[in-house]
Amino acid sequence: MANFNLKDRVIECKIVYYGPGRGGKTTNLQYIHKAFKKQTTGEMISINTKGDRTLFFDFLPLGLGKIKGCEIKVQLYTVPGQVRYSSTRKMVLKGVDGVVFVADSLEVRRKENMLSLKDLQQNLAEQKKSIFKIPLVLQYNKRDLAKESIPLLSVKLMERELNGKLKVPSFPASALKGTGVRATLQECLKLTLQHLQRELKWAG
Amino acid sequence: MKSLVKEAELYRTQGLLEESKERYLEVLQLIEKNQRFQSNKKAINVIKDRIVGLERDLAEIDQETEAPELSGKVQDLIKNLFSFSQNKDAAEMEGAVALARFGQYERALAEFNSLLDKGTLPLIAAKNVLRCHLALSSTDAAIDQFRKWLSGELLSKKQLRDIRSFLEYVLKRKGIQTKLPEVVGESSQKPKEVGSEGGFLDVCSVKMRLESGPCKGSTKELDVTFQSGNVISLIVSAKDKDLIDSFMPGIRLRGVHFFSSICVFRANGIVSEWTSIKTGPRRGDYVLSITIDRSDKLDIL
Ligand SMILES: Nc1nc2c(ncn2[C@@H]2O[C@H](COP(=O)(O)OP(=O)(O)OP(=O)(O)O)[C@@H](O)[C@H]2O)c(=O)[nH]1
Ligand SMILES: [Mg+2]
Repeated sequence: MANFNLKDRVIECKIVYYGPGRGGKTTNLQYIHKAFKKQTTGEMISINTKGDRTLFFDFLPLGLGKIKGCEIKVQLYTVPGQVRYSSTRKMVLKGVDGVVFVADSLEVRRKENMLSLKDLQQNLAEQKKSIFKIPLVLQYNKRDLAKESIPLLSVKLMERELNGKLKVPSFPASALKGTGVRATLQECLKLTLQHLQRELKWAG
Repeated sequence: MKSLVKEAELYRTQGLLEESKERYLEVLQLIEKNQRFQSNKKAINVIKDRIVGLERDLAEIDQETEAPELSGKVQDLIKNLFSFSQNKDAAEMEGAVALARFGQYERALAEFNSLLDKGTLPLIAAKNVLRCHLALSSTDAAIDQFRKWLSGELLSKKQLRDIRSFLEYVLKRKGIQTKLPEVVGESSQKPKEVGSEGGFLDVCSVKMRLESGPCKGSTKELDVTFQSGNVISLIVSAKDKDLIDSFMPGIRLRGVHFFSSICVFRANGIVSEWTSIKTGPRRGDYVLSITIDRSDKLDIL
């Protein structure tokens, strides 16, 4: 849906954080909100249940300044990960330009990661988008828990199970500590803007 | 054992309640098997308390309210963020429908009314006004509204007739017998087109045979409370727990009959969501959403 205003030369694009419930999508956005203070152009809005689970979505607007004569505005969203909020997830995903898939490194969430990735594929297909073509980045979150000797999936295994076919950039991360959050977002922005550049042929 | 407890605690703090409960149950089993631990009554009790607490939290999540009343600012944001069409009228309608989809019926009602006043997609706006009244459980308000439109100039006779049959049908389905005032005046010449302004027929109720779950094999007929394009929502009474269990998200529904005010058609669908209602007159009941497969041809019966 990237909104390209030729006259004012403004590009507005939408990046959605997707993934299983409790995987750390909201925590990613909270960290970005703190770490990208300068780029933040509005408040972060979160609509949660009492238990801090995302009910509708989180929203954070960023302004990246000018690239090749164009002002770049980015809207970051998270979807609710809980299985039962399926139609809300579809709604938030509408018009997406790029996706960050936040996988949970906890061994107990192995199946949920795979189901959520499949759900993403289906919901993109409903919008006539392919998971193989959309700008997509994987994040293996909660790596900090390795130190606490909590059973984690190895990065190698996650890479094979989730990224075997996709072969997209992936990042180990700890959204709680902030490691890998910036790199994940930057890569996704890069892919998304390159993609838009090809589609809208704005540069030059 | 220590590491099991540690895991269980971590999962609990991360909100992974099922996983946490499983670990605590494992711990409990270990204790029961092992003579050495059995004397430690205090530890056993602490673990049992944890499990009870987790079960309570899990039950609470099940009951969580679907639609909190949001601030005006957030409502504005929803309205803006969820309108995608290039066409301004369509975009405004999308914004208003999004408000209703997120349960902000009062605000959505105001938006639909203002769209109607401006003459933007009047038929869809009017039907959505009625839907909001009905979602807010005010049947009388819906009927009053229709009366007002009858005596006003906002809607054409043809539109009023369409709206009348829509409302009549919805009310009949709710078991409410009221004689709605007739639309008098010049009659519409053209037969009604199939497919409304929104591109999808208005569905008032659905009938289907359940192929799985506790109600397997039985045929059910249910009223539709809200519709946005090809997604319909139905309210099911909390007493119908078996029915809820037959509608787990992801279940495919085949050969569903969709009753609209102008025709009956058959299509497939998928249960896309269910949630419980915590506030208002329908507290305790459930909302189910069904996404109807889009196909180029409708199988009209
Ligand atoms: N140790 C650790 N905990 C994390 C990390 N990221 C998130 N968490 C915790 O995991 C829990 C869930 O995080 P959220 O960010 O709310 O997860 P979410 O993906 O938004 O969940 P939903 O909104 O339900 O879909 C919280 O208790 C976080 O503190 C991480 O990198 N390390
Ligand atoms: Mg969240």
